[in-house]
Amino acid sequence: MEIAYYPGCSLKQSSALYDIQSRRIFSELGVELKEIEDWNCCGATSAGKVDDFLAVAMPARNIGIAEAAGYREIVIPCSACYSRTLVAQQRLEGDARLKAEINGAFAKKMNGGLKISSILEVLLGRIAAGALEPKLKRKFRRLKPVCYYGCMQTRFPFTVPVPDDVENPQGMETVLGALGVKAIDWSHKTFCCGASAAVNDPETSLNLMGKIMKDALLRGANCFVATCPMCQLNLDAHQDAFCRRSGIEERLPVFFITEVVGAAMGISPEALQVDRHFIDGTTLLKELEGDER
Amino acid sequence: MTGPLLEFRPEQAKPLLQEVMERSGQMLTACYQCRRCAAGCTVADETGFFTPNILIRTVILGDRETALSNPLVWKCVSCYTCGTRCPNDIQTARITETLKKMAKEAHIAPLQPKVAAFHDSFLESGLRWGRVNEMEFMGVYEMKNIIREARARNYEAIVDELKTQAKLGMAMFRLKRMHAGFMTTKGRKEIKALYRKTRKKPGVSPRVNP
Ligand code: SF4
Ligand code: SF4
Repeated sequence: MEIAYYPGCSLKQSSALYDIQSRRIFSELGVELKEIEDWNCCGATSAGKVDDFLAVAMPARNIGIAEAAGYREIVIPCSACYSRTLVAQQRLEGDARLKAEINGAFAKKMNGGLKISSILEVLLGRIAAGALEPKLKRKFRRLKPVCYYGCMQTRFPFTVPVPDDVENPQGMETVLGALGVKAIDWSHKTFCCGASAAVNDPETSLNLMGKIMKDALLRGANCFVATCPMCQLNLDAHQDAFCRRSGIEERLPVFFITEVVGAAMGISPEALQVDRHFIDGTTLLKELEGDER
Repeated sequence: MTGPLLEFRPEQAKPLLQEVMERSGQMLTACYQCRRCAAGCTVADETGFFTPNILIRTVILGDRETALSNPLVWKCVSCYTCGTRCPNDIQTARITETLKKMAKEAHIAPLQPKVAAFHDSFLESGLRWGRVNEMEFMGVYEMKNIIREARARNYEAIVDELKTQAKLGMAMFRLKRMHAGFMTTKGRKEIKALYRKTRKKPGVSPRVNP
């Protein structure tokens, strides 16, 4: 099976490891991710704050490229890109004039009907199809994760169909459950980490992350699992800073969901490039490596 | 928490409310001040008195000055919590996003200049090259900060900022999370041309410069 793939700018740069992991894991699950040609930046959170027209036009061009290439579905791992693209599609469906205007300017036109999926939707689909079970090689015993969804995976500024519960999503818990891992329930799974403010308003984002960390520790978690590259980088790169600020001694690795799935499939942490984390995650994954199923 | 008195400005109330409602697409008049938004606002600890419901009240009262310059407008992280919980479907994030743009158009200095510089630089970079190159974008953003601080002669702020960013940058480099290549999108010309065309339309003011 082939589906269109929009990596977005961060998976090509600071979170290139997530790109490598996603391609590898999905390929093992029988899905080839086909990067759409000559895609452009979706505008992310910034477009909505600076220019409403660009917030729709930038993702629209990518939708047109995927549709013109004949794809029915596109997977977008970054939550910001996923959210912006889904919202743009929804807005264009309700505004024929805007759609015609944008289509008129782009070589690859939108017709409509492209399914925009998060990485969780595609993973859950493969699990439901039974593709994961035969691939599992390792069993985790010591993993006590909290699933961190952040703000953009389930909440949108416009009415769009959300495939999970808005306040208490379960997609990641279900994926981990299929690996035999029981995720810990907690209250900060959709609490925003302030990634878009990390550079320009660090006080705010460090305070937000401190709250997230405190709840995770209170529940007895020994790692985070996330799907969004912005969340992962934010909670990982700034962990020393926000822990010091909040008087927290402990540190927790922040895993991409693809790293946990990959490790369960028997792929080594090195091959998954887990050694590119700020907070060491290799040790925890290595400890588990010996735990045969 | 008590806060500054908001001023009722009857002459400004109607045009302000109308502009914010139209541009944000939010029905501010539907708000009945139940404060569900305030209870869940992610940045409530940072903004004190200025909760989403207060911001809505400020606009309705016509206090334009306060509406364009208050902690919530500049600290809102667009997490959409308030909006998904509002019984009347009011997305305050769309209101804060709109007020940021209105402040810029009115040449009012942003309460948090770094927030404005960040989002401007990001979008400009995305538009200029078709993709955001993290290093180039951060460079442009820091230049904006340096120019602003140098004008105000805050040299210490410049040094602090550069130290913080250099430290993070070095750590990212060590972990190979910094990308050396430069990305461009051929089709960026299509977006730029379309954008130029729409900007010429009456009522649409220029907002970013690619
Ligand atoms: S939740 Fe909605 S109706 Fe209630 S105070 Fe907030 S904006 Fe107004
Ligand atoms: S979108 Fe903004 S105003 Fe609403 S809850 Fe989040 S931070 Fe608060």
